[in-house]
Amino acid sequence: MAQDALDKLRDLADGQIDFEGQKLAELLSTLLLSVFAVLSFMVGFTLQDIKLAVYIGLVGTCLTFLVVVPPWPFFTRHPIKWLDAYASRSLVAIETTTE
Amino acid sequence: MWKGLSVITASPSPIVVVLSGSMEPAFQRGDLLFLWNNPAPDHVGSVVVYEVKDKPIPIVHRIVRKFGTGPDTKLLTKGDNNNADDTELFAKGQDYLGPDDIIGGVVGYIPFVGYVTILLSEYPWLKTAMLGLMGLLVILQRE
Amino acid sequence: MFNSLNRIQNTFGFFTTVAFVLASFIALSDFVTPRAPSAGTIVPESVQVVKGRPHYYSSKKEEYAIVKFSLDASLESLFTWNTKQVFVYVTVEWPEPGADNVTNSAVIWDQIITSPSADHLSNLSPVALRKLKRSAEGKSIDPSRGKLKIKNQKPKYQITHPTGKLAEAEDVRLRLHYSVQPWFGILTFDQESDIGLWKAFKGGVSELFKLPALKKKTTT
Repeated sequence: MAQDALDKLRDLADGQIDFEGQKLAELLSTLLLSVFAVLSFMVGFTLQDIKLAVYIGLVGTCLTFLVVVPPWPFFTRHPIKWLDAYASRSLVAIETTTE
Repeated sequence: MWKGLSVITASPSPIVVVLSGSMEPAFQRGDLLFLWNNPAPDHVGSVVVYEVKDKPIPIVHRIVRKFGTGPDTKLLTKGDNNNADDTELFAKGQDYLGPDDIIGGVVGYIPFVGYVTILLSEYPWLKTAMLGLMGLLVILQRE
Repeated sequence: MFNSLNRIQNTFGFFTTVAFVLASFIALSDFVTPRAPSAGTIVPESVQVVKGRPHYYSSKKEEYAIVKFSLDASLESLFTWNTKQVFVYVTVEWPEPGADNVTNSAVIWDQIITSPSADHLSNLSPVALRKLKRSAEGKSIDPSRGKLKIKNQKPKYQITHPTGKLAEAEDVRLRLHYSVQPWFGILTFDQESDIGLWKAFKGGVSELFKLPALKKKTTT
């Protein structure tokens, strides 16, 4: 029982995603952080407002974490098709003849 | 890299974290300061880090008086947020700082980044908490 | 990026890089913003030298100079989005007698002018702080704070000399300085020559004057 609960908790904390999802997550984190940084500088410089610039940067960072970290469905759309486990084939009956 | 930075800036610790509020509002606790000691800026009004004999922690304050030049220069400092100058902070019988007491002048500044080090040194339980968190992650992670 | 922890680590790593680059750009933006600070006048109004003790229980007696002054200055261009505060200070400078090219210099008055972005850090009294905040309501920067007009100001600090002698010092003058404290980047000071878009500080030096003879304390 305890093992089951731990397993469920592990799944939740693990948040594994597939290979396509990993590529997407990498791209998203790079893109989002960069875009928010550029936005932060441009808005801050034009309006001469450093607090606004820092605020945009922080909000952008939080948003990036929210988008990238949890195992959203769009990160798990290409699950790996594993080969059938060997165990299932071992069930094939073997004919034997006895005299 | 630290060694290289030390050589270029000629300061034993080219990056320091502000530990007190005596220079507020210019520097808060946890702000990061970049020092230069090659040579250290020593005009009146510049902010320097100096060491006092038998006191373990260097102090970062502003120069308010300067007499003479060269190795005989006499400097008096004061924290922007303090009412009195630093005479009380100096060693017994010491009225002024010499150039040798200065370990660098502040040339660059980044706010807040060093706050983690303050938290870790002032709240030792945080270290325990971090260790616990790491342990939890290990449990939750499949090998 | 296969599990959440890994994604947190990677994203945080890139965040620190981006934050550092952003901070560098903010610091560099100072250099494309012109500065043209100037001071109209700076004059000593009254000068006296008195004798006193450095501490209450000191046996030694020293000479102190007390200089009242007036000044006006325009430092508006020092206030940009990256300005945290401008530290304005007045020094008294005088040559060391009998030594060439040696100048003594001491701060007699200073003032911290915060930007609205740093008002909350200011060490003013609650009442003064509220007034200060209200003065910049809705403004992200407030260059008008760089306009200084000070009449017959009493010094905050007296002048001393290690030898204890000050009376009748010659070729003394007052000089106005500033130190710009940024949110990110390098600390800058009043400069004697133009650097890029930053003009040298115009004016800010008084005529030469002489410290008077020691004033005898009259007890009444």
